[in-house]
Amino acid sequence: MTARRRVAVTGVGLVTPVGNDAPTTWANLQVGRSGVAGIRNFDATGFSTRIGAEIKDFSAETVIEDRKLLKFASRSHCFAMAAGEEALRDAGIRPQPGNEHRWGFAVGAGMMGVAFNELEAVHEHCVHDEEFNPNGLLDPQFPADPVAFCRSQTNAGLALLTRHFGTQGYATAVHTACASGGQAIGTALKVMRRGQADYVLAGGYDSMLNPLGLSAFCLLGALSTDNDTPERASRPFDASRNGFVLGEGAGFLVLEDWDAARKRGAHIYAELAGDGNSLSSYRITDSHPSGDGPIQAMHQALASAGMTPDDVDYINAHGTSTLMNDRSECAAIRALLGTQVGRVPVSSTKSCMGHLIAAAGAVEAAVCALAIRDGIAPVSANHVQADPDCDVNLVRGESKKMRLRGVLSNSLGFGGSNSSLAFRHPEEVPTS
Amino acid sequence: MSESRGIVITGAGAVCGAGLGVDAIWGAIINGRSAISEIRSWDASRWPARMAAEVTGVDNRTLVEDRKLHKLISRTDLFGLYAAGVAIQNSGILSHRETLAEDAVAPFNDLCGVFAGSGGGNYRSNYDFFPLLTAAGGDIRRFGAELGENVNPMWLLKILPNNVVCHVGIRHNFKGTNACITNQCVGGAMAVAEAAAAVRSGEADRAVAVGHDCPLEPETVFHYDRLGLMSHDTLKPFDGTRQGTIFGEGAASVMLETRRDAERRHARVLGEFLGSGCTTEATGVLNIRSDGDGLSRAIQLALADASISPADVGMVVAHGNGTPASDASEARALTSVFGSDIPPVTGFKWAYGHLIAASGMLDLVVTLKALETNIVPGIATLNELDPGLGLLPVSRMPQPPRSNIALVLCRGFGGMNVALLVRANRGSTAP
Repeated sequence: MTARRRVAVTGVGLVTPVGNDAPTTWANLQVGRSGVAGIRNFDATGFSTRIGAEIKDFSAETVIEDRKLLKFASRSHCFAMAAGEEALRDAGIRPQPGNEHRWGFAVGAGMMGVAFNELEAVHEHCVHDEEFNPNGLLDPQFPADPVAFCRSQTNAGLALLTRHFGTQGYATAVHTACASGGQAIGTALKVMRRGQADYVLAGGYDSMLNPLGLSAFCLLGALSTDNDTPERASRPFDASRNGFVLGEGAGFLVLEDWDAARKRGAHIYAELAGDGNSLSSYRITDSHPSGDGPIQAMHQALASAGMTPDDVDYINAHGTSTLMNDRSECAAIRALLGTQVGRVPVSSTKSCMGHLIAAAGAVEAAVCALAIRDGIAPVSANHVQADPDCDVNLVRGESKKMRLRGVLSNSLGFGGSNSSLAFRHPEEVPTS
Repeated sequence: MSESRGIVITGAGAVCGAGLGVDAIWGAIINGRSAISEIRSWDASRWPARMAAEVTGVDNRTLVEDRKLHKLISRTDLFGLYAAGVAIQNSGILSHRETLAEDAVAPFNDLCGVFAGSGGGNYRSNYDFFPLLTAAGGDIRRFGAELGENVNPMWLLKILPNNVVCHVGIRHNFKGTNACITNQCVGGAMAVAEAAAAVRSGEADRAVAVGHDCPLEPETVFHYDRLGLMSHDTLKPFDGTRQGTIFGEGAASVMLETRRDAERRHARVLGEFLGSGCTTEATGVLNIRSDGDGLSRAIQLALADASISPADVGMVVAHGNGTPASDASEARALTSVFGSDIPPVTGFKWAYGHLIAASGMLDLVVTLKALETNIVPGIATLNELDPGLGLLPVSRMPQPPRSNIALVLCRGFGGMNVALLVRANRGSTAP
């Protein structure tokens, strides 16, 4: 097989609960500042969990001038357009007439398209005496909204993003629950290695902080109910952890052919060096206690990158702060690293940002790029009490200044899809 | 393309309104039988758009035997699990696995990929919240407080777009690379393209690709009709009087592996996957270009991927969804690629409707039968070719293909276009 094409990360963009752009997010993650607070998107005071990691003081109009396009955009689509715009500006390139066919797009997108008020309208017009009668939709009073319908389509976000940024090559939207963002970036890497694109805008976006989304996770008992101490609620790997905190946001990377990026003198954050992707095939709701599944994903990511565990200096864990995920993931990390487990720092930035579901893997990939640039392994906040089942080298107390040669970013999805991405420090890339 | 990593199809499964199983569906098409009739799943007698190709007379347990699973997944997932199960079973890969040495099984499973094109969220599952909305009477606090008494605690599982990926993995112990593509209509077609790419690159030694969808529900029909996309009688691709599309439901699936592996285990080869192309026109959710630019680029990319020229293509299975704009631009794309030398063109949606995320995959599975039998089936609902579409070689009657290579086209919201190229198995038909 011929040498694998190298892919550079040349731009990052973030809209997260700890900052509406990449610099603010990264500054807050380094000091372990939490973005978790009481939910303000809607009145959640009746729910068992009333806290979340929301995007604050965000205005799409300041980023996207096209008002007509914004009408078609949901909350998470707005985050995506802002993060995509920041990533392109950061990279200093964008699709141009002449190369738009060589630009790809890959997104991990949310699972929910229908807004709560739209469901309420259907309920009001179609449900009588507890019976659903579809003929209510034909009622002239029914507020039929074609724009809302378009917004609800599974690829609505991708359609708006490709239109806004003008990319006309390969375009895909994927959804494997919490692994979506990581798998989207992994797909982008493969698409570039196959030669189907020279540039890809890759990332993820999600917002389930609405009555239906919050309900879904409350029903499963997956969320922390520490409503009185929101900033401490997400504490991955801590012995007292009791569930994850639901977040929202978006993250995007600009991926570019390595040689082309070098040639134009672009700032290169890192090489996106490898993608690992596996299925646990264990149980729909549980992860395997041995770490089976994530182990294969991490091994594949390293193999795809031409790396070994010796080259890994930091792991950005999935680390949701649920009892089972953190235990299973630590077992996987221990299995991967073997005797080196004490050497390699591990942290979960979900301790500050909460869990951004389909956006999580993409946001955390951007965090890894920033971590490599600045030589900082960000702190795993809120870790107080060690859990013997989570015996890895956690970045406790404060962030660690250290050169990061190679980094792994894990995203482990509900239902068993696992994604692991490998990044390499640009100076570690052998010159050809 | 390197011969060593040539990709073949060794299993296929499908269910849709036109039948349960690939042979039943093929029989309907070749006999000119359309499954489109008045909607039966709700009283649509007052609806202007009230036609569909529904799956009727198929028990859920025929689709998925495990009854416990029925409560945890949606109708679309039942279709997907059925089709994928048949493709995997028919490929003989499971009985082959039984012959492996004990320590070879885990590495084998780690190289079994699963790729789904999923319709994603549906409206129906949200209706599980109606009793709660009634109980809450518009009070969001009560909605939150009485949640647990009114909604199944496992509700989230029902709406997961990636259910088929998860359950195919669990049921068959496939643990390799995977994707669930939620790119609306082109999801299924992209799933097979990604599965083939994974096998070609060696990320997987074999992969199942499945497309499944169930767009047939009141809100979807209602909104599509309001947007002017639905036909109120029949689906007539490329006909001068075509009005729009009509929904179907179901799933289709293929099992892909390398030719080398398939030959080594003497598997029955249904066809060879040659290449794919994927583009977007970047026109937003609903708009498409009238010149067919995105589609012609997708076809050119697929031809280049397969290292063949337009003259090598023996038949075209068009997207042909029956909407005036899509069919017209599709004809233009074919003209721009093939010039005046367009191979015989057909389409199958007149028989089983538009299955949205499953459409491209179902078309592909039926195309394998067309290649096997060396027949380009006629479009039974075609009365008169739209004179605006030039000399598009479509027919009401079956046509002979001009080679054993077929081009399958799939288009969707967001200006998405996918082109797939498949060839009849070597020796089965003269090129």
